Amino acid sequence: MKVKVISRSTDEFTRERSKDLQRVFRNYDPNLRPQEKAVEYVRALNAAKLDKIFARPFIGAMDGHIDAISCMAKNPNNLKGIFSGSMDGDIRLWDIASRRTVSQFLGHQGAVRGLTASTDGRVLVSCGTDCTVRLWNVPVATLKESYESSDNSVKPLEVYVWKNAFWAVDHQWDGVYFATAGAQVDIWNHNRSQPVRSFEWGTDTVISVRFNPGEPNLLATSASDRSITLYDLRMSSPTRKLIMQTKTNSICWNPMEPMNFTAANEDSNCYSYDARKLDEARMVHKDHVSAVMDIDYSPTGREFVTGSYDRTVRIFQFNGGHSREIYHTQRMQRVFCVKFSCDASYIISGSDDTNLRLWKAKASEQMGVLLPRERKKHDYHEAVKNRYKHLPEVKRILRHRHLPLPIYKAAALRRTMTEAARKKEERRKAHSAPGSISTRPLRKRRIITEVE
Amino acid sequence: MAETKRKARDEPKHMAKKSKKQQKKHSDSKTPAKKDKKSDARKRTGPRLPNSLRKVIESLNHNSPSNSEDDEEIESDEGELYAEDLYEYQEGVPQEESKKNRRFDPVENFEYELPQNFKDENVLSDDEDEDEDDDDEDNGGSKTVDANGDEIEEEDDGRHVRMLQGITGMPSEAFEGKKKKNNVVISEVYPESEYNPSREILDGDGRISMEDLLGPLQDKPGFGKLRKRMDQMKKSEVIEAPLPQAIREKVERGTAYKLSKTDITKWEPIVKKNREAPTIYFDENTDLGFSTVGAIASEFVPRTEFEKQMASLVYDDNVMEAHQKDGSRLLELNKVSVEDEKERQNRIAKMRSLLFCHEMKAKHIKKIKSKTYHRLLKKNRLKTSDMEVEMDPEAAKEQALKQEFKRAEERMTLKHKNTSKWATRILRRGLQVQDEGTRAAISEQLHQHALLSRKMNSMKDNSSSSGSDDSSDDDNVHKNPAVSDQGRASKLLEKAKEKTLKILELEDEVPKSGLLSLPFMERGLKKRKEAADEEAKLALQEYESSLKQMEDSSGVENPKASTSSGRRIFGAAAKTHAPESRNMVKSDTFYANSDSEDDMEAKENTADVGNNKSNDSQKDVHLDSVLPHENTEIVQDSVFKSFDDIVRDPGPKTTYEVAIFASDRWRKMESRDKMDAKSKRSLKSVGPEHNQDSEEPVKEVGDHSDSESEGQMVDGVLALGPKPSYELPSQAELIRQAFAGDDVEEDFENAKLEVLNKENPEPEKPVLLPGWGQWTHVQKKKGLPSWMLNDHENAQRKREEALKKRKDARLKHVIISEKLDVKAQKLLTKTLPYPFTSKEVFEQSIRMPIGPEFNPAMTVGALNRPEVVKKPGVIIRPIEFKEVNPHENTEGHKWSGQKQKMKKGKSNGTKMTKKTKMAGGKTMKVK
Repeated sequence: MKVKVISRSTDEFTRERSKDLQRVFRNYDPNLRPQEKAVEYVRALNAAKLDKIFARPFIGAMDGHIDAISCMAKNPNNLKGIFSGSMDGDIRLWDIASRRTVSQFLGHQGAVRGLTASTDGRVLVSCGTDCTVRLWNVPVATLKESYESSDNSVKPLEVYVWKNAFWAVDHQWDGVYFATAGAQVDIWNHNRSQPVRSFEWGTDTVISVRFNPGEPNLLATSASDRSITLYDLRMSSPTRKLIMQTKTNSICWNPMEPMNFTAANEDSNCYSYDARKLDEARMVHKDHVSAVMDIDYSPTGREFVTGSYDRTVRIFQFNGGHSREIYHTQRMQRVFCVKFSCDASYIISGSDDTNLRLWKAKASEQMGVLLPRERKKHDYHEAVKNRYKHLPEVKRILRHRHLPLPIYKAAALRRTMTEAARKKEERRKAHSAPGSISTRPLRKRRIITEVE
Repeated sequence: MAETKRKARDEPKHMAKKSKKQQKKHSDSKTPAKKDKKSDARKRTGPRLPNSLRKVIESLNHNSPSNSEDDEEIESDEGELYAEDLYEYQEGVPQEESKKNRRFDPVENFEYELPQNFKDENVLSDDEDEDEDDDDEDNGGSKTVDANGDEIEEEDDGRHVRMLQGITGMPSEAFEGKKKKNNVVISEVYPESEYNPSREILDGDGRISMEDLLGPLQDKPGFGKLRKRMDQMKKSEVIEAPLPQAIREKVERGTAYKLSKTDITKWEPIVKKNREAPTIYFDENTDLGFSTVGAIASEFVPRTEFEKQMASLVYDDNVMEAHQKDGSRLLELNKVSVEDEKERQNRIAKMRSLLFCHEMKAKHIKKIKSKTYHRLLKKNRLKTSDMEVEMDPEAAKEQALKQEFKRAEERMTLKHKNTSKWATRILRRGLQVQDEGTRAAISEQLHQHALLSRKMNSMKDNSSSSGSDDSSDDDNVHKNPAVSDQGRASKLLEKAKEKTLKILELEDEVPKSGLLSLPFMERGLKKRKEAADEEAKLALQEYESSLKQMEDSSGVENPKASTSSGRRIFGAAAKTHAPESRNMVKSDTFYANSDSEDDMEAKENTADVGNNKSNDSQKDVHLDSVLPHENTEIVQDSVFKSFDDIVRDPGPKTTYEVAIFASDRWRKMESRDKMDAKSKRSLKSVGPEHNQDSEEPVKEVGDHSDSESEGQMVDGVLALGPKPSYELPSQAELIRQAFAGDDVEEDFENAKLEVLNKENPEPEKPVLLPGWGQWTHVQKKKGLPSWMLNDHENAQRKREEALKKRKDARLKHVIISEKLDVKAQKLLTKTLPYPFTSKEVFEQSIRMPIGPEFNPAMTVGALNRPEVVKKPGVIIRPIEFKEVNPHENTEGHKWSGQKQKMKKGKSNGTKMTKKTKMAGGKTMKVK
């Protein structure tokens, strides 16, 4: 005969320390809890609502420039430092934590168009419309200095005068080269007064340049002839050119996926490309209602931030067709540059209104130190929300954003226009011989050619 | 470096090369790497020609193969030759700068061809050593060009020198040298021999080939290697006609793109893995160095002199040993035996338990509300304190002090001397008016005061006269045993006796209601009372005996005992005081009786009821039995009759059940009549033979009790069964008969209508609004306004349409509810969400809950983990390449931590070296 008895050993129930949690045994049989799904649904709903309640993304503005901010650069080796260059030739280093200027880099005669810092964060490279490339020593920012002396101006290490105005500059990751864009693409070494190499393909001005952080010898540029060009330093030649219907204002490589990059286009969309297959975009990210001016990937490679001429900053998933978040304030004007912070938890935007603005990457995230239990709770909320995000009520709450009226209207207009175009296309197709009209998918539609 | 080398190599060559050098310098300044040299070379080879021309030339070349002597290389060179011819048109461009001029190159290579004349062996070998593969190719190519292009060059030389002179501004001698050289080469100074081959040999068929040169080396040790290299060189010696720049660049870009594409594809497995991973981690713990003091201390290396001295002292062998020994001794001292420890623990436990007991006791005592008990307790305490006072002088002193203090207080406050508000008020009103309690209280107070003040007196003069008539026991105790004690004792005893008697005689007042009137309480009280009575009797006996004793002995007696006994009795009497009564008992018994009576009655009633029932049933039965007799005139079927009997006979219960079974209408007379008619019809054929048979069992039923009737009836049926004349009704008929009562179809239709009405409600009928037009009588005249009617009509029409549109509009026997459950709607998606491809997968994905209440703690973390785990404030670096085995099990933490791991490895390495260093140091010290 088999006799079943409850046996519980004391070892399992005695705590080792008084701080230990009491061990609780539960019966996890789902038949005992028929309501669990409903319970979790309600929790998801509440989590979504809480998200809305706690959504306070704007942290602060950094005021100091006296002209529009044209470019920014993050210090890859220092979380707190961010460089900004303005149209009047002023370059500043900011301390994000205290939101003050640490030092100023004076010297440019015209607008600063490009800023970048070396990977070790010691050298800052700037270039501008005054046809100079300047190298600066980045001061090691100690707290005392930044607070005590306000006019902490730095003299440039080197000034290289060149033939043409510059539009952009970017530094190689973990290397000695940096590339400038202007009439052509020039590759510079820190120690040379002349570019070590220059690429020219076509006659139009190159307006942006970005090195691939994962694959430091690749770089991509976009030019005013609506083209996106890829270069390989090892082959010492450009590799491929892509011509789209509208100009690409900025490019950013995905730091975690070295073959992919995303182009911020003038037609208010962003296009993600695989560098190996340029005949079609991997993804079209739509939501802005005006030209996208700048783009920067999160260091996690899972999302990117865009700044647009429509005075908003949006955050997209790397594989999402629509934005996850929109940031705007009443006083923020045209956004010219955006950056994700190196720890992927902040966003900095620079705009026409001479201010840098600091935002949270997750609008409702709780900053500061979290207790483990708190963190678990947050994780659970997030997970539950994620699980039930498709249900209508949760979805509605999660998707709802309060938009400025002009943007709302422009978006609506844009929608009607695309809808009308689609309908027209449909009708045309319906009334013509079958097969005579083929619609190109959106991912290919904006591409004109791929030039070898 | 490369430049300097090249310069060194060029140095011994001709002066004429100056211009070339300049040119080179210029180009070198631009080219940072060796690679550029190559590209230069490439550029030089390509003259700019229109495509059409090129084609013509190529066709020419193909048409005149006779020119080509033995190799393809020459053929291609010829192409170039033609090209050069045509190139004349473009000579406006300075040739050095355009870098397309080949005329300066051949010189260098020509030297290569004529080693003997100029004894440049060393340089040549150098050249070969430096850039073996790359340059050989170029040289080879250019060499042949030289051979063929010589004549043309000669023609142009004069012009060219002039031109160079013009451009560079150098004396013509600088350029002359080269020409001279050429001349020297061409003019055959030495007689022809095997060391000095003739021009024909150099140019034409008889020239020395590589094979010729290699011939004598055949049995030398490095020959095989040399030949292999020669073969390679031969293979790679092909030079194609240069394409136009645009095309060339395009091709270059194409190859570059292809290469970079393949190169970048190496990331694919890593990226794929990351994308598929449920979570990616960026929170690799950064190495913060040592965390504990011990770790830091262990890392300490003495550096300065002082530290070293200290270290040598501290780590001295003797010191260490001593320290170790000392330590062990100290430990020994610290030891405690097991027995000691146990004893100590036991002691402590005992003390603790005692303390606890005491505490509990105190608590218990404190809880007791009885005043008498407390008085006794107090007295007892006083007594013990008195005893102590007597025994212990210290305690006596204390006691005296206390007394003194009290008395002093009394004197000062006069608390007990009718000075208080309460006392004055009472006195003002008069003591007589007051009730007994108040009076007692006043007297008590006065007594207290007197006591306190008298004590003072007594302290002064030891007189005990005043307290003799006091009845209080306290004084008695204090007084010396007086003479009157005996008398008093007897008095007391008598009093007690009287009291007990009184109590015994006193018949208790009985609470006729309330809790105590309950029977069980009464019984208990009765018992107690009896016990108390007995005790009282016993006490009485004792009193009497003690009185007798008193009388007998009239001397020695124990007042205490008497008092104690008296008290005991008093206590018992008090007990008897407790509300207790015979009446109660009586009442109780009465109640009990009544109860029982009631019970009896109830029983009777029930019995009656039962009887009645039985009677009824019997009556029924009788009736029933009578009925058939009456019905005999109409030929009634026995089966149905018996059925009836069954229905009615076995008590009300069965009838009820049957009533449920058969609906009400069945009872209706019509149906019954029908039935009867039917039965008549169906059983007419059975005929009157049955009647007698049928009557018998019915009669029996009438005679027998209920229980038997059924069986009897069954018997009757059974008896009837085998009769051949009876025909069972058809199945359909039976069913119809069985379900004759419930009108299922109608019910269903009603239900459907109800559902329809609920889901598409009928519009309300328009009514006159109260208060509108009532006093003007307008509405009454006109009737309802037209819009109202229209609305109503519209609504009606709409409803009908909706009804028609319903899915069950044409299905007669189906109700398809089209009601939307709003609450359930919230929990459903309208479409399948994006990443999911099938409904099942989606449902599966949200099936199991993920909360901490529904999952074990071990799995909750994994279930709730976000997609990206990162630490705020930690810089995330871009991805770094690492070979990934795609079939490997995915371990989230591995890949992102690559860098850190490397760092750790490094740091470990450094640590290791440090440690070894330290170990070395130690050994040194030990020495």
